Amino acid sequence: MRRVRRLLWLGLGLLGLQLPGLDMGLPLSWGAIALVVLGGLKLREARRAAELRRMSLLLLVATGVLAALLPGLGPSVLQLLTALVALAALLAQELGDGLLPGQLLGRSFKLLAAALPLVLVLFLLLPRLGPVFTVPQNQTARTGLSDRIEPGAIASLVAIDAPAVRIAFEASQAPVEAERYWRVVVLNRFDGFRWERDAPALPPLSTPLPPTTGRDELWLAEPSRLPLLPWSGRGQPLQSELRIGPAGELINDRPAGERRGYALGATGQPAAWQTSPPSPEALAAAMAFPTGSNPRLEALGRSWASSLPPEQRLEAARRWFLSQSFRYTLQPGSLPGPAPLDAFLFQTQEGFCEHFAAAHAALMRAAGVPQLGGGGYLDVRQSDAHAWTEVWLAEGGWQRVDPTGWVAPARVNPAMAGSSGRRPAETGLLAWLQQQWRGLDLRWTGWILGFNRQAQAALLERLLGARRGWLGVLVLAAVALSLAVTLPLLRWGQTRSGGDPLRRELERGLRRLRRLGFEPAAGEDLGGFCARVAVDRPELRTPLRRFANLYLAQRFGPPGTARQRRAARRRLGRLLPRGLAVRADRPETG
Amino acid sequence: MVSADRPGRSWWPRGRSRRLFRPRQGTRLRLHGRNIYILPTGFGCLWLTGAGVLQLVGIQQQSNGPLFISFLLLGLFVLALHLTAINLQGLELACGQPAAGFAGEPLPYPLQIRSRYRRYQVELSFEPTPRAWGPLQARNLGQGSVIEPGDQWLAIPWSASRRGLQRPGTLRVRSTAPLGLFRCWSLWQPEVAQLVYPARRPGPVLERSSSPLGQDSEAAAPGVASGAGDWSDLRPHRVEEGVARLAWKSLARGRGAHSKVFDAPAPQACWLSLHPGIAREQALENLCERLCRVSAAGLPFGLVLAEQTVPPGLGPRHRDRCLAVLAQLP
Repeated sequence: MRRVRRLLWLGLGLLGLQLPGLDMGLPLSWGAIALVVLGGLKLREARRAAELRRMSLLLLVATGVLAALLPGLGPSVLQLLTALVALAALLAQELGDGLLPGQLLGRSFKLLAAALPLVLVLFLLLPRLGPVFTVPQNQTARTGLSDRIEPGAIASLVAIDAPAVRIAFEASQAPVEAERYWRVVVLNRFDGFRWERDAPALPPLSTPLPPTTGRDELWLAEPSRLPLLPWSGRGQPLQSELRIGPAGELINDRPAGERRGYALGATGQPAAWQTSPPSPEALAAAMAFPTGSNPRLEALGRSWASSLPPEQRLEAARRWFLSQSFRYTLQPGSLPGPAPLDAFLFQTQEGFCEHFAAAHAALMRAAGVPQLGGGGYLDVRQSDAHAWTEVWLAEGGWQRVDPTGWVAPARVNPAMAGSSGRRPAETGLLAWLQQQWRGLDLRWTGWILGFNRQAQAALLERLLGARRGWLGVLVLAAVALSLAVTLPLLRWGQTRSGGDPLRRELERGLRRLRRLGFEPAAGEDLGGFCARVAVDRPELRTPLRRFANLYLAQRFGPPGTARQRRAARRRLGRLLPRGLAVRADRPETG
Repeated sequence: MVSADRPGRSWWPRGRSRRLFRPRQGTRLRLHGRNIYILPTGFGCLWLTGAGVLQLVGIQQQSNGPLFISFLLLGLFVLALHLTAINLQGLELACGQPAAGFAGEPLPYPLQIRSRYRRYQVELSFEPTPRAWGPLQARNLGQGSVIEPGDQWLAIPWSASRRGLQRPGTLRVRSTAPLGLFRCWSLWQPEVAQLVYPARRPGPVLERSSSPLGQDSEAAAPGVASGAGDWSDLRPHRVEEGVARLAWKSLARGRGAHSKVFDAPAPQACWLSLHPGIAREQALENLCERLCRVSAAGLPFGLVLAEQTVPPGLGPRHRDRCLAVLAQLP
């Protein structure tokens, strides 16, 4: 019983390890925490076999609930271990205390492995149901970008090192580092200081999508408060519930606030959102400028508008920014009203990406260039959150402009990275391992999250086509087949592992002697039997004597270490080898 | 006849249970698919409920993790169904020759059990088993109720309420290994009967010092038995007798080592018979108890019964003969 309790405490500890990763904004997280805490309280006083059995089940159920909340590779490994330990605790109660902990875990592993084919059949083939009821999501506790960016918002994100997104480029090369702007949100409304997002009118779902050349990029986004997903701005989502908005946002139809895995396919042509001209309303919104809010800025922009064509207005702005002594800082202090951007551009001249992007955006709008604010990530962490601007040029479509890069190349250029810029390419074994782990994690999570109802329906469609009516028969046949395969294997293991290995060696030796025609008589001991055989077969006298002595020494002598015992058993096996009969016959026949 | 029903199952009609789960008869039993029964335990039902809850969580969250664990629970459930049955299948049981015992006390019933491989958590018990005997089964099967490969003899305790040649009732062989999700059992009524002496109950017994028949008065005359009384004879010394009885004088005289033989006056044999004033069965039980006490004290005794008379004697064989006579009285 003490061993069972120790195993259960171990399982509970493994579950406890996962709790810090939970998102406290989800009601189910609190359910999982309650399960684990109540389990611990119960286990403190549980002594009876039935109570401990129920604790094992509780561990398994809690593991399942945690699996819903933490699908990552690390937690999944912990969950597998928990299931293994819970099963071992159950086995320890039924199989008695004769087994060592290692043997118990081995048996538990064997049982899990035997159940696996059955589980996979059910998991892959049993049709899934949609959610029974919908629960309002609590979105207040999420980190990440919002649909309203004002200076200070991103600075608070920069301090968070949690991952925001994970990406695997499968068919194509990853874009060069300077081009890694993962788009999330596009902000079209500008009031002179902050940007806001008006939800765009979406194209209907029936809009034909350009054909793709298969899966190209695999993405995994952490929960965020927006119904928008980060993406590279190129290609086409492969899931039907994802759509690309007119301004180049990847819009998620499912409720925000859960982890999403999604795949993008390459189309081989420039993205439609980038090249197709915006609607007149969208264009008007992108040019709206609150006149009089920042008079000096407005005057500068208007001076470019009157003298330069649109492309050169962009270049003029860049030259102007470079000619000033701007300083990148995460603590710029608050900007004095009533014209905060004027104050930033002409007085304080210090700030971070949002200040630069906002000032540049305002200048462009004042200069009559259609402009949108872009928000997204430069890399994979929340601290890589960034803001930039996008301008519409008749020749090139929407162009990304990052004024922060002019002023503080370190923020966007890895070679000059500081604490709050793109990280330098990591080197060394640890970094390599981390990278491999992240890659594995991404693939695992992508697979776990990607195999949803639609994917399953597609799989069944591929397997059965029009004969969907045969699904029940297929499931039953697969279950029967996996049972037919695993049960004999388990049984074989039982026969093999049962009994005493020393006894097996003895039986093997006796079998070989039986082939020579010698059978132990009733009441005869091993020494006597060997001596009797040696009388008839003098050539076997030495090995027989050694065999008897070694067996008796192993059986009744001091036990020695496990390695010594194994070596002794091997020696026993060699003393009376398989070819004994042949070898013994040779002197007679020859 | 001992019922096959277990106490506390009143919702299950007795007759139906007997028809559904019919015990096998015979002197040996080999367990196979036709004579073992299997049903989920309460824990097994709870296990299914847990799987159902996880299905609900998985469906509601549209998440694969809980679905996977839920299917894992289901898969283990299906696997356990077979593994539990396999744990009993192929087990062979055979009756041994049971030794006699007293009614109302635990009677060991010998069974030979043969298995080709190791089996776990197999419990054997006769039904109904008094609750207080719980640990006896575990002790019978050694640690953890594991049946090792090969042959072994077990003594399964049971309790007879009546004397005579009795069959021990229904043996239930059961197992819940490996996961405790299913209870697999088989019922068997071993055919070899066990001789049961009357219960031992203290009470009045008719005791006489002379034979009621009168003629064998010499049996009542004081005899001689080896004991602790006076020294009477010498016999060659054996080492295991120690030096306490060594005849030192004769050793000193060079006549070799001899032991002294002491005599004690043999106690007078008593004749026991049923007390006429008590109900016959109870009188038999009283007689049985007295007989055992007298025999344990090393006194000679004889039995006088209406049907039969057993001349006085001593020793366990005499006692067993008398007890057998009492057990089989009509």
